[in-house]
Amino acid sequence: MKPYQLRTVGDRAVSIEFPNEINPEINLRLQALAKIITADKITGIRAVIPAYHTLLVTFSAMVTTPDSLKSRLDQIIADQLAAPLPSKRTLIIPVCYEEPFAPDLADVADYAGISVDEVIQRHTNQSYLIYFLGFLPGFAYMASVDKKIAMPRLSKPRVKIPAGSVGIAGIQTGFYPVTSPGGWRLIGKTPLTLYQPENPEPFYHAGDEIKFEAIDKETFAAIQRADKLGHYHVKVVNENA
Amino acid sequence: MPNLSVIQPGLQTTVQDLGREIHQIDGFPVSGSMDQSSHRLANLLVGNPGRTACLEFALTGPTLIFRTATFIAVTGAQFSPTLNGDPIPQNQAIQIHKNDQLEIGTAKTGRYGYLAIKGGIKVPIVMDSRSTTLRIGIGGFHGRALVAGDQLPIQTQNTLSSYAHRRAPQEFLTSFRNPLTMLQNPLTIRILKGPQWELFSKADQARLQNQQYQLTSEADRMGYRLAGKPLTTSTQSLLSEATVFGGIQITTNGQPIVLLADRQTTGGYPVIATIFTVDIGKIVQCQNHQLIQFQLADLQSAENDIQRQSQLLQRLKAEFNDQRYQEPIGINRAAAQRIQELF
Repeated sequence: MKPYQLRTVGDRAVSIEFPNEINPEINLRLQALAKIITADKITGIRAVIPAYHTLLVTFSAMVTTPDSLKSRLDQIIADQLAAPLPSKRTLIIPVCYEEPFAPDLADVADYAGISVDEVIQRHTNQSYLIYFLGFLPGFAYMASVDKKIAMPRLSKPRVKIPAGSVGIAGIQTGFYPVTSPGGWRLIGKTPLTLYQPENPEPFYHAGDEIKFEAIDKETFAAIQRADKLGHYHVKVVNENA
Repeated sequence: MPNLSVIQPGLQTTVQDLGREIHQIDGFPVSGSMDQSSHRLANLLVGNPGRTACLEFALTGPTLIFRTATFIAVTGAQFSPTLNGDPIPQNQAIQIHKNDQLEIGTAKTGRYGYLAIKGGIKVPIVMDSRSTTLRIGIGGFHGRALVAGDQLPIQTQNTLSSYAHRRAPQEFLTSFRNPLTMLQNPLTIRILKGPQWELFSKADQARLQNQQYQLTSEADRMGYRLAGKPLTTSTQSLLSEATVFGGIQITTNGQPIVLLADRQTTGGYPVIATIFTVDIGKIVQCQNHQLIQFQLADLQSAENDIQRQSQLLQRLKAEFNDQRYQEPIGINRAAAQRIQELF
């Protein structure tokens, strides 16, 4: 059993804290806890917010106290830690690793001392856990990238990165849901619209896995057209299916 | 639907309720009103549930024309509101007739004001909230601050004579810890030890409490930057964690940022302390250059204060309900209003 502690944060939140590391097993426990706590509708709980190794639980101080909430959370965590990890789903995200979408791909290949094709192969042949979403709406913190291609972020961030760009920052990988500044090494781009202000809720969530699938430019254009018309459906693979 | 016309938008006027707290799990800022006790009070004065959408304005408020009869209340920072040119009081329900013009004016003290309208502002609900998040352009009125010419949907509320009684007297505002009754220079803000308190040296923990900080001009709905003698920041690299309203982060230059309504959902800077929930409104209402003195206090008093404030609002609500059956009451008021409209 993983040791954890409950810490009161301010006067309206309790943090469930596991050891300070990026570890998929710890994070999947947190995601499972987040689901249970939300589904249980525990009196006074308002929201849950996961990060790498912590789950913040906010509460209404009019309804409950940190102490009574902590003892309830202790029970829930004890039950959850005894249970097997829930199954997860994997979403397949198409990515074009060709110019002009991949300005840093050659640098990553140089850094790794391998060919561009091998970088693509190493980036696509595993899936990545979404540890949490933050920074921007729908910005997924995913890990862990193959150490060989885990190139650190740019020393000077770019001012403008197009929405859909896929990048690497050390062992983290991810995509930019909206155009924004950023320092990640850009190695490709997905044709999918990841964020729409009129329908802002992302189709992926913390605890999902993402697997990238390399596509050529023609396929990129075709998927982009279909997606804009609402005809493209992201492939989903269930672990236990 | 009848509407509310924006003649002058003010400096930054947005639609806010109490935010979309549950969507932080998908990376969305909570947003919602900066001074939540003033927001709740405004709604109570016009008989709305506490989280109903209001207009929030900063430093300079809007000028508006009501295209229908209703009731309103202005709370928060001290502005100089006028109705058709005549001064009107804040912190009480005001009857509005069709085509009345409300001019909020400029804040004399404080920073954020709130306008509650009976029935609320009926912009679409986006992810369980009507709050505007300017940075990502969602919620509120087309995801942006108001501009001249905007027409906001509101409801008609012809007459409710009992509303003449709905006001929050000065004694109430003082015991309610209304931020505007608390502003002084330097301003004492009570804090609790934050999750990374222990990462700071004893000397820095003392410095946070003993020195006066000054509010800088880098202050917006995301957070307020303060300036003082810098603390030594830990070289230990932290994994990002979820943020809280009123969290005090120490950034790499050793200066604090107070995290507010539009903060990012997660952050990697150490959080040395968090502000008492009932004191967040006080710091939110500070104008630039205000001096701030942090005072370490205990969790029990923070919890007690939240409960006390909530009970005071409940008591005021009960008083309003009791007053419904006092004079002036009845059909004569409705008739008088229609006669007034004829002339």
